[in-house]
Amino acid sequence: MATPVGTKRQLLTSLILSLVIAFGSLGTTLVLGWGPKLGLDLAGGLSVVYKPATTATASQMQEVVNILNARVNGLGVSGATVQLQGKNVVVQAPGVKDARAVLAAVGQTAQLFFRPVLCSAATGKKLTVVATGHLPACGAKYLESAANLAVTPNANIPAGFTMNSGILPDPKFSTIASTSPAADNPNSEVLLPGLGTTQRYVLGPAVLSGTAIGKAYASLDQTGAWVVAYTLTGAGSPKWDAVTKTYFHQQLAIELDGVVQSAPLILPANTTWTSYGGQGQISGSFTQATAKSLAVAMEFGALPVRLIPQTTQTVSPTLGHSALIAGLGAGLVGLALVLLYTIIYYRMLGLVILLGLIATAALLWAVISALGHTAIAPSFSLAGVTGLIVSIGITVDSYIVYFERLKDEARAGRSIRTSVDRGFKSAWRTVLAADFVSLLAAVLLYLISIGDVRGFAFFLGLSTLMDIFFTWYFTRPLVILLGRRSTQSDSALSMAAGLLTGGSND
Amino acid sequence: MTDVATTKTPGRFGRLYQGLTTIDFVGRRKVWFSVSIAIIVIGLCSLGIRGFNLGIDFKGGSSWEVQATHSSVSAMTTAVTNAGLNQPVVEKLGSSTYQVSANINNLSQGAQVAETTKVVNAMATAAGVSPVQVSTASVGPTWGGQVTNRAIEALLAFFVAVVAYISFRFEPKMALAAFIAMLHDLLVTVGVYSIFGFQITPDTVIAILTILGYSLYDTVVVFDRVRDNTGGILKTGTMTYAEMVNLSMNQTLARSINTSLVAILPVLSVLLVGADLLGATTLQNYGLALFVGLVSGAYSSIFIASPLLAMMKEREPRFKELAARVASKGEHKAFSAASAALLGSEGLQRVSGVTNAAGAQRPDGSVITPRPRKQKRR
Repeated sequence: MATPVGTKRQLLTSLILSLVIAFGSLGTTLVLGWGPKLGLDLAGGLSVVYKPATTATASQMQEVVNILNARVNGLGVSGATVQLQGKNVVVQAPGVKDARAVLAAVGQTAQLFFRPVLCSAATGKKLTVVATGHLPACGAKYLESAANLAVTPNANIPAGFTMNSGILPDPKFSTIASTSPAADNPNSEVLLPGLGTTQRYVLGPAVLSGTAIGKAYASLDQTGAWVVAYTLTGAGSPKWDAVTKTYFHQQLAIELDGVVQSAPLILPANTTWTSYGGQGQISGSFTQATAKSLAVAMEFGALPVRLIPQTTQTVSPTLGHSALIAGLGAGLVGLALVLLYTIIYYRMLGLVILLGLIATAALLWAVISALGHTAIAPSFSLAGVTGLIVSIGITVDSYIVYFERLKDEARAGRSIRTSVDRGFKSAWRTVLAADFVSLLAAVLLYLISIGDVRGFAFFLGLSTLMDIFFTWYFTRPLVILLGRRSTQSDSALSMAAGLLTGGSND
Repeated sequence: MTDVATTKTPGRFGRLYQGLTTIDFVGRRKVWFSVSIAIIVIGLCSLGIRGFNLGIDFKGGSSWEVQATHSSVSAMTTAVTNAGLNQPVVEKLGSSTYQVSANINNLSQGAQVAETTKVVNAMATAAGVSPVQVSTASVGPTWGGQVTNRAIEALLAFFVAVVAYISFRFEPKMALAAFIAMLHDLLVTVGVYSIFGFQITPDTVIAILTILGYSLYDTVVVFDRVRDNTGGILKTGTMTYAEMVNLSMNQTLARSINTSLVAILPVLSVLLVGADLLGATTLQNYGLALFVGLVSGAYSSIFIASPLLAMMKEREPRFKELAARVASKGEHKAFSAASAALLGSEGLQRVSGVTNAAGAQRPDGSVITPRPRKQKRR
């Protein structure tokens, strides 16, 4: 029997500590200016769930996440998240104003383009942006034309040909910034950076898109060097042949998302060729990794797998705002009704519930804000609000279970002093059993389900944990202390009135 | 309520308040079961005939939402039809939100994007707002299946875990009774949704899972008391298992009603304040399922789970024998008097003392006033 009961000092310490923790953490988060991370349906914004079109390996999916992350961040959207949930990729960008513009950027299947290299561009310190289609022409001596490159087959050296490698970058471009991905129009000349180098290229309009490529894979050639081998689609093969004839012995840049992945020289082995026959190979100073990533880029465009949008949602900020008001309004009205009811029913003990709920709400707000700040928890969505509203019932029930036990004990003729101790002992066991079930539901839902359900489960579970914490560290000491102090007063608010023990008869 | 507190002969409410009600939960189980079975059968019939009103998340499709103070359903319908939507469903939600839904999944991905933009612009023009104010949702044909499958997986896992937990913590028969009560709530909610043609959305699924958790929570609280009370009944031999369940139910009735009220009040507020006045559809979806489910859950823990438990336990030889013993003593007729006296596990020793208390004012002895308080130690 002695377990739940403590000395007055222990009870007071526990009570004060729980209140200090609750309001202290609330104060801390308020001072730090942290707030809950509002979900899409409350803040407005965008949410897309993509499923890979074909089975994808874990590493491929991780790559998808990285690429999408880069795209979202490239748009300057703050607070956006790209996450793997099971086999799905979930992109969420709460709080964005023009959600559909973000969607267009994220959802585009970035295209791979082949563009002829006109010349290399020098890079200076001060860069200015030049409108699309207004790049200056390359100077004649800097042109990487077939004539300037002068590729000559030479079977006597390992590379199989000689060429003029002394063409310099055109200094005219040193003050011009690279074309941004947004301004990257396939039909106009662009200035693009190379992947992993400081080199920049002036490129002509796209002559072919990535759809011409069937498969691409990294492999080792006879000399043991990494190359990218590729096949062409039935429709792509003749187009490829036409392009390679036009740009024979020149460089053809492979562009993806505004970055030149590679700019290989078109180099059939003999000069009297007619067709690539639906396949080809890019060689150069590849490592296994660079060959692989080029192959992936060639075959899949930006992403290693094609993504199919499963569900897309954009919420306008105003609609989100009114949902937030509705949720908060509903929650507050519900809470007020519950408190009114319990205070009428339990009098003094109803006030205990009031204080307890305020403390719980304070700690909950602090925890949600802290979690929102660290981005561990799911964002606080309307589903989460509902989870919390439902948890009002569960939280208040712990008090009800205890107080009904108190009534039992008091009716059995025990003094309030003894009742509070005995009542807590049996109520605590009930509360633990019942909260465990609630927690079980929350954990299972969180682990198994997808979408909004997880947010709901998270906040339900969180508030259940809070309930256990506050029942032990707050309700227990407060009610037991009140019980020990309780005099059989006639006040309508007294504990005796709440327990209906008819104290006035004593 | 103050008059209740001072009067010595509590009325109906006072008896409930003091845990002195004498409702025969187990004995009248046929009534309770019939009510439930009737509701479930009607619901299942409706399900068979009409099926569900599935939301776009399950069927696949698109929906658009905009807030417009000066517009009408017909104006919206004309606007979106002109934008190229086939058979759009236009609804007014709350006071000023218009929702348009249609299925454009048969279009190619690019065409869907183009159509969405057209509808967004048309609705924005009709509502007199900027296109940014239009919310959109589109769901592929297979997404709903995924959501449902995951929900069913979660449900099964939950059932297994719960039955295991209650079997371990309480006993297998309690687990079975609690499980049947949960199943009852599931069927009732699903039936009500079909009967009234409420739309099923993923939010509904979440809500149903919550209800099951809640119903179970409620049942666990009641069973906890039953377990407490039935601990020593084989030894004392004064009450049968069923009588003890009845007693426990009456003792926890005030709690059950309070708890259910406390749970239902916020949900009612979600439904009325959040959804109707302020027009948040997600809240409406949750609120409706939660409301139906909570009512059903409160009902099932009192009227289904406990009578079922009593039925199953009474079949055990030891409790059969106990029932025979009690019957031979004829004491079970004193059920109502005993119920007032049997408070807590030590209550049995007090039976005579309390029943003889002068406060008993009714001739049938069914109401007992509390024993006079001991002088408080100072």
